[in-house]
Amino acid sequence: MLKMTHLSKVYRTEVVETYALRDFNIDVKEGEFVAVTGPSGSGKTTFLTIAGLLETFTGGEYHLDGVEVSHLNDNARSKIRNEKIGFIFQAFNLIPDLNVFDNVEVPLRYRGMKSAERKKRIMESLERVGLASRAKHYPAELSGGQQQRVAIARALAGSPRLLLADEPTGNLDTQMARSVLELLEEIHREGATIVMVTHDPELAARAQRNVHVIDGQVVDLAEDPRFHAHVAQVAEATHGR
Amino acid sequence: MQIKPILSALRQHKAGTVLIAMQIALTLAIVCNALFIIQQRLAHLSEPSGIDETHLFVVENQWVGKPSPDQLDAQIRADLSALRQLSSVQDASVSNSYPLHGGGWDDGLKLKPDQANATTEAAIYFADEHMLATLGLKLIAGRNFRADEIGHMGIRDALAPPVIVITKALAEKLFPSVDGHANAALGKTVYLMSNRTTIIGIVDQLQSQSVARWAADFAHRSVLVPLRLVSPQGTYYLIQAKPGQLDAAMHAAEPTLLAQSRKRVISDKDGLLSFAEVRAHAYDSDYGMAVLMGIVCVVLLAITAAGIVGLTSFWVGQRRRQIGVRRALGATRRDILSYFMTENLLISSGGALLGVLLAVTMNLWLVIRFEMQHLSLLYVFIGVAILLLLGQCAVLAPAMRAAQVSPVEATRTV
Ligand SMILES: Nc1ncnc2c1ncn2[C@@H]1O[C@H](COP(=O)(O)OP(=O)(O)O)[C@@H](O)[C@H]1O
Ligand SMILES: [Mg+2]
Repeated sequence: MLKMTHLSKVYRTEVVETYALRDFNIDVKEGEFVAVTGPSGSGKTTFLTIAGLLETFTGGEYHLDGVEVSHLNDNARSKIRNEKIGFIFQAFNLIPDLNVFDNVEVPLRYRGMKSAERKKRIMESLERVGLASRAKHYPAELSGGQQQRVAIARALAGSPRLLLADEPTGNLDTQMARSVLELLEEIHREGATIVMVTHDPELAARAQRNVHVIDGQVVDLAEDPRFHAHVAQVAEATHGR
Repeated sequence: MQIKPILSALRQHKAGTVLIAMQIALTLAIVCNALFIIQQRLAHLSEPSGIDETHLFVVENQWVGKPSPDQLDAQIRADLSALRQLSSVQDASVSNSYPLHGGGWDDGLKLKPDQANATTEAAIYFADEHMLATLGLKLIAGRNFRADEIGHMGIRDALAPPVIVITKALAEKLFPSVDGHANAALGKTVYLMSNRTTIIGIVDQLQSQSVARWAADFAHRSVLVPLRLVSPQGTYYLIQAKPGQLDAAMHAAEPTLLAQSRKRVISDKDGLLSFAEVRAHAYDSDYGMAVLMGIVCVVLLAITAAGIVGLTSFWVGQRRRQIGVRRALGATRRDILSYFMTENLLISSGGALLGVLLAVTMNLWLVIRFEMQHLSLLYVFIGVAILLLLGQCAVLAPAMRAAQVSPVEATRTV
C-alpha cells in the first residue's frame, strides 16, 4: 500500500539544512494498522505529510498503491488525496465557518459527488461517530472529542483506503482518546489501512505493528543504541517527577 | 457548484460581507447615473449645427457714434464687400446672431393670422444672399434669396420680411407631410409675428442660437429673413475662410474693417472668434460635467476595487489554515481560486441587486430635483457588468495567492 525506500526530506533555509528524514524505509501492507512513535522533532509529521502527498520529498522513492508519486502533478496529487486518503490531524482542523454537516461534505464536493449521495454518506459517517444529532452545530459549539470525531467522520465519508492520523488523541483527555482509538480500530477491522503517529505508548501498543522513528530514520528498536538512550531519558524524566 | 457552503460560510463574516456589498451598491448607483449623465452630455455636445464650421469665424462689431440707419447699412455693405475681396476669404455675410452663440431672437410662427397660440417658436437669423454659401448650408428645396430681396431693418422696426427660408425641421413642424417630405412647406404662407410671409426655400439643417434648455424646444427650427439689421450693437460678420487659410483670414479681418471705417469697436477679448472657440464655449458646461462625472466614476471604482482587494487579502490571510485543510482534503488549486472568485461574485451580485434599486431611486430623485431624464436600463446593465467585472478582476490576485497555499499548511500546529 505504502512503500518508501531511501527517502529523504531536507528543509533548506538560508542558514541551515535540516534533514527531517534520511534514508527512510518503510513498507506498510494493505490492511495494516501501524503506529509510528518517536521523540518530538524526529520526523514523524514530516513522514505523514509526505505519505499523504501534502508535501514533496527530496530524494528516494515513494510508491503509493503501486504508483511512484514523485512524477504526479498537483492535480493528480489532489485527486489521490481526495479519493484514497483520509486525514486526521492533532488540531482537528475543522473549518470554523462551516457547520458539522458542511465540514463532512467538503471532500465529497471536491470529488464532484451528487447531492443525494453526499447526504447519504455524510449522515452515515456522522451516525458512525455518534454525532448525527449535531449536524447543524458549528465546530466551536463542540467539545474537543466531538470535534475529532467529526474530523474522523469527514475522513471516513469518502471511504478512503488509507487513513493517516497525526497524534489524533494528542489534544484529548484519556477517555476521549480511548473512544477515538476504538473508532479507528473499528475502521481498521473493516479493511482500511491505518498509519497513526502517537506519543502514547498505550495507544501504540494496540496497533498491529509499531514503527519507531529517531532522527529521521526508522530504527529497529532491539538493536539501536539511540533507542536505549531514549528509553533511559524517558525513564529519568518520569523518575524526576 | 459550491454556492451553498460559500453562502453559509459568508454568514460567519457578516460585517465584511455587508460592508463591501453596500460599497458595491453605492458605487453602482452612482456609476449608472454618472454614465447616463455623461452619455446625455456627450450626445448634446455632438449635435450637429448644420453649418460648415472648420474654416468659419465670427467678428462681433459695435458701432461708435450715432450713424443713421441708411449710413449704417451702407457701411455694412462696404465692409462685406471688402471682406469678400480678401484673398483668404471664401465668402462673408452678416447677421444678428449665429448657431451656438448663446443668445439671439426667436419668434412664434403661425399658420393663420388669427391663431391664438403660435404653432412653434423658431430662431430668427438675419441674412443676405451670401448667407447660405458662407455657412455652407444645404438648400434642399426652393431657392436662395436674391440680392434685390435684401432689405434693412432697425432694432425697433416690425419684422416683416415678404419671403423667408426655413429649416427642414421647421418645415416639418409647420406642415407635417405624410411621406416625410419637407417640400410640402415650399411656397406656403405663414405668419411671422402676425406678418404674412412666404416660404421660398428650405435648408437641410441650421441649429438655433442657444444649446441651453430654454431653446431646446426649437433646437433646429430656424428662419432666415432677407434683412440686414442696422443697430449700434449686434452686427456679427460671419466669414468663411478658404480651406487652410483660417488664420490668415482671421488676421486680415480686423485691419480690413478698420480700413473701411474706424468708427467701430471690435473687442480684444471676444470680438474675433473662430467657430471652434464658439463651440467650445457653448458646450463648456456640458463638457465639464461629463469630465467631472467621469472622474467620479473612476475614483469610486478604484476605491471599490481597493476595498475588494483589501478584504479578500485579509480573508485569505485569515483562512490560510482552512485553505490548507481544503487542499489536504482534495481541493485543486483551481477549486481554491474558484472558491474566492465565486465568493466575490455572490457578494457583488448581492451588492449589485441592491445597487440597481438604489440607482433607480437616485435617478428618480434627479428627475424630480434636476429635471433629468429617466435612466435607461441599458446604463444599469452596463453598470452591473462593470462592477461584476471589476470585482472579479480585483479578487483575482488575492485568490491566486490563496491557490498557492500549500496543503502542508493543514499540519502546522498552531
Ligand atoms: N517546514 C519546515 N521547515 C524547516 N524545518 C522543518 C519544517 N518542518 C519540520 N522541520 C524540521 O524537521 C524535523 C522533523 O519535524 P517533524 O516531522 O515535525 O517532527 P515530529 O512530528 O516527529 O515532531 C524537525 O527538526 C523540524 O524542526
Ligand atoms: Mg509532529
